[in-house]
Amino acid sequence: MEDVRVLTGYISLTYQWVLSPTDARFFDELKNKRIMGTKCPKCGRVLVPARKFCPRCFVDTTEWVEVSDEGVIVTSTLIGEKLRFEGQPIEPPYGLAIIKLDGADVGFSHFIGGIDFSDPEKAIEKMKPGTRVKAVWNEKREGKITDIKYFKPLE
Amino acid sequence: MRRVAVIGVGQTKHGKRNDVNYPELVYEAVKRALEHADITIGDVDAIVTGSMPAPMEGTNDPQLWLTDALGGYLKPLMRVATCGSTGISLAHSAYYHVASGLFDVVMAVGMEKMYENDPQGTMTTVAEPFYQRIFTAGAPGIFAQQCNAYIHRYDIPKEKLREAAAEVSVRNHLDALKNPYAHIRVKITVEDVLNSPIVSYPVRLLDLCPISDGACAVIFASEDFVKKAKIDKVAWVKGLSYAGDEHNLGDKDLVNWESAIKVARETYKMAGIENPIKEIDVAEIYNPFTYQEILYYELFGFCKPGEGYKLVLEGVVTKDGEIACDPSGGVLCTNPIGATGLIRVAEAALQIMGEASNQVDGCETALAHAMGGVNQFNGLMILGR
Amino acid sequence: MDVGIVGVQISSHNEVFGKTVRDAVYECTKELLQNLGIDRNDIDTIVTASSDYYQGISCSNSYYFEAAASYLKDATKVEGNSIHAFIYALMRVLSGHFDTALVLAVTKASEIPQISTLTHISSDPFYQRPVGICDVTAAALQATKYMKERGAKEEDFAEVCVKNLKNAFYNEKAYRKMLITVEDVLNSPYVATPIRELECPAHCDGVVALLIARREKVKEICNGYIEPAWIAGVGWGSDPYFLGDRDLIKSGGLRKASEMAFKMAKIENPVKDIDVAEITDTFAHQELLWFENIFSESGVDAIRNGLTTIDGDLPVNPSGGSLATNPPVAAGLLRVAEAALQIMNAAGAHQVADAEVALAHQAYGNAGQHHAVVVLRR
Repeated sequence: MEDVRVLTGYISLTYQWVLSPTDARFFDELKNKRIMGTKCPKCGRVLVPARKFCPRCFVDTTEWVEVSDEGVIVTSTLIGEKLRFEGQPIEPPYGLAIIKLDGADVGFSHFIGGIDFSDPEKAIEKMKPGTRVKAVWNEKREGKITDIKYFKPLE
Repeated sequence: MRRVAVIGVGQTKHGKRNDVNYPELVYEAVKRALEHADITIGDVDAIVTGSMPAPMEGTNDPQLWLTDALGGYLKPLMRVATCGSTGISLAHSAYYHVASGLFDVVMAVGMEKMYENDPQGTMTTVAEPFYQRIFTAGAPGIFAQQCNAYIHRYDIPKEKLREAAAEVSVRNHLDALKNPYAHIRVKITVEDVLNSPIVSYPVRLLDLCPISDGACAVIFASEDFVKKAKIDKVAWVKGLSYAGDEHNLGDKDLVNWESAIKVARETYKMAGIENPIKEIDVAEIYNPFTYQEILYYELFGFCKPGEGYKLVLEGVVTKDGEIACDPSGGVLCTNPIGATGLIRVAEAALQIMGEASNQVDGCETALAHAMGGVNQFNGLMILGR
Repeated sequence: MDVGIVGVQISSHNEVFGKTVRDAVYECTKELLQNLGIDRNDIDTIVTASSDYYQGISCSNSYYFEAAASYLKDATKVEGNSIHAFIYALMRVLSGHFDTALVLAVTKASEIPQISTLTHISSDPFYQRPVGICDVTAAALQATKYMKERGAKEEDFAEVCVKNLKNAFYNEKAYRKMLITVEDVLNSPYVATPIRELECPAHCDGVVALLIARREKVKEICNGYIEPAWIAGVGWGSDPYFLGDRDLIKSGGLRKASEMAFKMAKIENPVKDIDVAEITDTFAHQELLWFENIFSESGVDAIRNGLTTIDGDLPVNPSGGSLATNPPVAAGLLRVAEAALQIMNAAGAHQVADAEVALAHQAYGNAGQHHAVVVLRR
């Protein structure tokens, strides 16, 4: 800040967030290259990522269902060089989308990759809503959402 | 003014909950409250929720993430947060939601997941960074200073006060053994307390509350709803008040604690109470520290200033005495901070309904209290038949 | 309803920038009280809105407590959508326990980490945070879908930008004022497609304070000199948390909030009955999107047909909105304050003529999750 006297400080706190059994199972299955959803007994929707309860019906989900690692882009965006913030997971440019996998009734957020981002117009066209995509997995998987490296648009 | 009652409460098993994530922890308490009130989530008109500052769990605006677990799908939902007094602020907010006439059934939900972080590190950020933050040694440092001021002000015999504090700790821990939801469930003796390590003189380890994961949900309803749904076990809100002192620790009188004295006076007036120790059967006082519980007896008019320790040593504040203090085991044994103040309301309500795990026979009037900030906020709610 | 707004005080970025949060809150509150000719004793209760992460001081109201005239008073704090603070204050007065309530919101964007960082950490640590969901990226995903499903074009979003940044010239409290063209907007770089740099909110510092009172007190304070803004209806509602669980275009939470407010205000034909609206336009496309959900009429048509310009039949954001002035958490209450100024005939150069019914709206959370709507009437 120009011209204003300031005190600079930091709040640095370390966190260890617990993985509930639902989260743990979902992430363990990712290590096996399996994407799991849970089904709500009331509305019948398959929720991905797997959830302990259905947000709409407010009841426990009952079944675990494997969904495909292929699906369709519900919506997407190309993150440009101009968007930089402390804590950003990867450096722009990169693609981000909500993807509805075959077998799931809701979408979830993940990266789009495997396409050339240097020409934004072309890239946006390649990842526009309605495009079918397939998961590309990391060689080394640790039981995290980023075990899926990104979703690649299918020709 | 519209009459409002508590019709149901729910709590999680408090403690170290590595079996659930934050939303799942909340879901557990909400489900239990709905069951207790014998209603569905569809009957709930609005929800108010709160917890400690978001840095505690490391997710900003947690009410957004927790929306689903709160049953908040499509519903009016707001976050109210006042540090340690959050729980009582939530109860007040839910009360005003109903008392306003806009809603008939409103649920208050408080939560905390403290094992995923360093709580003292978070609490230190409550002090502003310019003058006070580096001198803030978390909660124990603040309360120890208050205790020493208290001893000095009334020239209280230190040995007697220490003994009384130890007895307060023993009583709370024994009572917690009867509470299936309580976190710390151990049998201790006065010697154990007196010999436990010093944390911040004169406060010892067993004079202090734990950190806990936990959530609590309390459902408030209008008189119309109670009548229509034919609910027979309820706890009516008889009085409530809230007030705050200054931010700077040095600006306040920590002994003649203005906000605590004010809220007691106003709540008693609303509830028509003139002789608290005689007319109140159960007092769920916010007691993260033994000494502070004793100070609160005085601030709430149970006895003269400086004489709180006598109430303990004479057995006045036990189930068999005049007024049962924290029969649930209190904050001393269970402290998921964002829920803690609301748990006081829940336990008070259960006493009125005759369903408390450590039931005081014929409880007709119960007090619930919470404190927040760096010894800054105090809130009260009185429930009755 | 017998509760009205009797006083509004907005502190602009320039007025707040060089002050601490505490001093800025004090100055705003003091000015409000002075303008009304009342003092601290006339305030029965206080509801403030601020956010701990957005201040760097936890239990944020603790720090500015006395500055908000709250010493020894029943004062509480709402976090998140600051219109909730307004609504909660209203409920306190409606209960009969309090005759007057001070509502205040404060945020100083200049003192804190980047807003995208703070909204990024409102993403859950397991699923949305690792893939960078923050205010901008969530809004971008939403805008892409809006274009696909409603035929909205980048030009439409740019028009919102042009309109609001021009409106800001007539608002002495606005932060960013620009005379630009659609082309200027479309030439600014993408931050996350299809959102352009100029279509992002103008984060700044701000304090907003309002005083509400029951009918008898309103008469006493206004004394024939002030035109109060009566609170006709309020509503709020929530969408599910995960972006993938939402439609992103159709907001059930906003529909619920709007219906609640319209029912309370006895409004049957919103587009006709409402004279002016302050709708959250944190990102340009959202003005059109929320307009659509509130009024059940095409947002795209509204901007194309000039309905929502300052000279149109339903001006939206005559203040310049969040595109011009965005103190992040306080922005919601700012919408209510601006709507109130319209009713009170006190909006100065950006006054909409014959504003008898005004609407204020705020969407809080990535891609707008928690919605609140307020309807004010003369």
